[in-house]
Amino acid sequence: MLKASALYIVIIIALVIAVICSSLIVSAYFYRAQYQKKFRYDRLENNLSSGVNILLAGADTSYATEKTFSLFNGDADSVSLHRFSWGIYDVGAVRAFIQKDTLYKTFSYANPVDSAKWAAVYLVDEDRPFSLSGMTTIRGDAYIPKAGVQQAYVDNKAYQGDKRLVIGHKYVSQKQLPALDNSRLQQLEKFRDQKAAGDSSLLKTDSVTWSFLKPTRFVNFKKKAEVLQNIKLSGNIVIRSDTTLTIESTAALNGILVSAPAIIVKSGFHGSAQLFAADSIRIENNCTFDYPSCAGIVRSGTQVVKSQARITIGANTTFGGILFTYEKTDNAVKPLISVGKNAAVSGQVYSQGILELKDSTRVSGSVFTSRFLYRNTFTLYENYLINTTIDSKALSPYYLTSGLLPVANKKKKILQWLEAN
Amino acid sequence: MAGSKLNGRVRASTILEVVISMVVIVIVFGIAMMIVTNVTRLSQSGKKLRAEALLKTAIDSAGSTKTITLDEFRLEQEVKPYQQNNALLDVHLTAYDQNQQKVAELEKIIPNP
Repeated sequence: MLKASALYIVIIIALVIAVICSSLIVSAYFYRAQYQKKFRYDRLENNLSSGVNILLAGADTSYATEKTFSLFNGDADSVSLHRFSWGIYDVGAVRAFIQKDTLYKTFSYANPVDSAKWAAVYLVDEDRPFSLSGMTTIRGDAYIPKAGVQQAYVDNKAYQGDKRLVIGHKYVSQKQLPALDNSRLQQLEKFRDQKAAGDSSLLKTDSVTWSFLKPTRFVNFKKKAEVLQNIKLSGNIVIRSDTTLTIESTAALNGILVSAPAIIVKSGFHGSAQLFAADSIRIENNCTFDYPSCAGIVRSGTQVVKSQARITIGANTTFGGILFTYEKTDNAVKPLISVGKNAAVSGQVYSQGILELKDSTRVSGSVFTSRFLYRNTFTLYENYLINTTIDSKALSPYYLTSGLLPVANKKKKILQWLEAN
Repeated sequence: MAGSKLNGRVRASTILEVVISMVVIVIVFGIAMMIVTNVTRLSQSGKKLRAEALLKTAIDSAGSTKTITLDEFRLEQEVKPYQQNNALLDVHLTAYDQNQQKVAELEKIIPNP
């Protein structure tokens, strides 16, 4: 017999409705939670971006110690900013947080090029002409001595390049190179003279990545001539040595700083690093230094030094970044930057002393020097460029220089995003 | 099939059962309607999301204090130097709908172009 059972049916219907309603409530709850999370993260992104803009617009001395503050004096706009110099560039660390949620970004930043001061060649006026021979190309504006630029016949070769000699405007150079930025030099000196504790225990592992949100990790070899090999180092790491430091091709460096009196980079190395030495840097053949790298010699002491400060770039090596030499006191032996055969530099060369560009070298960017040097088996030529290309137009329009060099614009831009979550 | 069932005897519900069932059904439907209304009312409207997206795109190109009308929203843009630093601008954008109700707001510090 069929039962009517109205109550029984009502309970079933009520259960079905309850299930539908509860699923509706649960989905609405999750939607709301996700929306609030997205809203919070959007705000964090916004605050993070504001923090980055504050660091980029700030003076070099601001936020040298980490500072936490409220952006708009509200309740959900706390940021923490910190900047510090990282070799010739700067590094900024920004954290934005709301309750337990934190977003962070670390980045390096640098200056764009000031087009009014930019030049493919700046050769100091030493009252003698500038001579070009072979297949030499200079593209871009050039500051040359009053005596002018001329064609020359060297190694049985006449000049075969463009008839204009300099494809760009020609200006008369001064008796002195435009000076490097003093405050930056002081920072580099301070960095070099810093008696950081550090030890070499870090190198017992085969791969170390150190965050820029942590204090810098120093590796100090002291007076032991050490070889960096079979290791991967990346991030906020400084390698120091009080004697010669050798970097083998098996070492993979990424963005770290190296400071030693003499640095040797062995053939076949590939990576990006900033190398600072007091005496010499030798980069052997077939190496690749990715942008942004730097090799610089800083001699700030007032005492007269007999040895020649020297940066040597081997044949077929590619270097992206900045090569520079600086000596506070004029020594009888001028500092030398020597770029080997078929080597390519994308960036800037600032040689306070002599710049030797060997056969078939290519500089995509800018060259500032007191004197050019070319030598063959028998003869040494001064202020001659032979079979060389200096092309300032070949440099990427997004290239950023360092505040150290005299062509830097005051504005700052992001060079590289280092870390983010 | 249906005919055969109808031919048998069907035990009817009492009036009390029917009344209670109706009451229960009404209460259950009432609660369900309340839940649905609450959920739809509390969930974010598409309008608010559109306004927030609009503010995000508009804030980076903000130049001076002004009122602009974009799509269905009126945007009030307040621009002032950030903490007396002329290199930075503090931009405060507020979006209002057609009923002049505040829908979304966003504040950001941008570089002074």
